[in-house]
Amino acid sequence: MVFLNLPLMVRARGPDEFWRKRRIFKLAAHYRSRTRNVYTFAIRSVHRALAYATKGRKLKKLDMAQLWTTRVEAGCQQYGVSLDAFKEGLARSDILLNKKILSELAIWEPRSFEALVNISRERAAVEGYPDIKRRSAFNQVYGLNNLKLD
Amino acid sequence: MSLLTQSMRQLLRHTTQRATLCGAMRALSLAPTLQQQNKPATIDVSAIAKEHQKECQTVCERINQQVAKSEQGRLFAVVHLCGKQFKITPGDIILVEGYWPPTIGDEISLDKVLLAGARDFTLIGRPILEAGLVTVKATIIEKTLTHTKTHFKKKRRKQYMRINFQRSPNTMIRINSIELTRPLDSNAEPEAEPSKRLF
Repeated sequence: MVFLNLPLMVRARGPDEFWRKRRIFKLAAHYRSRTRNVYTFAIRSVHRALAYATKGRKLKKLDMAQLWTTRVEAGCQQYGVSLDAFKEGLARSDILLNKKILSELAIWEPRSFEALVNISRERAAVEGYPDIKRRSAFNQVYGLNNLKLD
Repeated sequence: MSLLTQSMRQLLRHTTQRATLCGAMRALSLAPTLQQQNKPATIDVSAIAKEHQKECQTVCERINQQVAKSEQGRLFAVVHLCGKQFKITPGDIILVEGYWPPTIGDEISLDKVLLAGARDFTLIGRPILEAGLVTVKATIIEKTLTHTKTHFKKKRRKQYMRINFQRSPNTMIRINSIELTRPLDSNAEPEAEPSKRLF
């Protein structure tokens, strides 16, 4: 195309058309069908992909948080404690482990996790946290065997 | 409501048979009798405290013995570093994201140990273990930048499109050792004044 008159000059978008398109095609190289070869399709899908990638970086963090919650909850369920009661008990005992670490402990260090559950349950029972049905060993005999529940 | 009044009336009628009104109320409640034993405990608290302390001591001694014979195996620890918590064990490489001053080759000790454990015991800090109990040594081995992240925003039919590129610094740290430096003391008093360590 040769742009000789004014209206066509306006439409011309510069001499670097090849390079501009190549930048997009490089990103689209692994796409399937015409999104790989046809510029109009390629640029659409590349833009969409980049936007998704930007959003995905935030979503990944939320997803991980959700996954950790699920894992810790499953860990608590083994011992019949709800997640809220467990976390509340830990917080009141000044144990400030986060969800990531608790989930890792639940998976890889089951005995440490059990100890944490026992501590939390004991604290909740002593302070009369509503979710805890079990009576505290602390209330029966003050200070004795306070970690030996069952 | 009517049910309640009925039961209350019945209750009042039988009050004479019962010892007290209170006792009758207790009979009405649904909770098992076990929870209602409110008689005062006649247990010598000091004796129990001693027994409890003894139990603590035996636990501590057993841990100390195990550590003295170095049978405890590989220790793991949970440390707090740059606002994040990491579960580490010797030989691990952890990644600190974002700006962090230490340079390559620096040897540091990670002091905020929230939890340390081995095969047979776990030390849980409230919220961190006391200073000098567990030492975690680490070396900074690499400082790099992340891959290029593309920050791309676009609104359809609104002539709005923004693209930015960003790379943030990353630091790799190798954990050299995690050690129990001094024996556990069951009688240890918490520090009288708040520690002067700066974190």
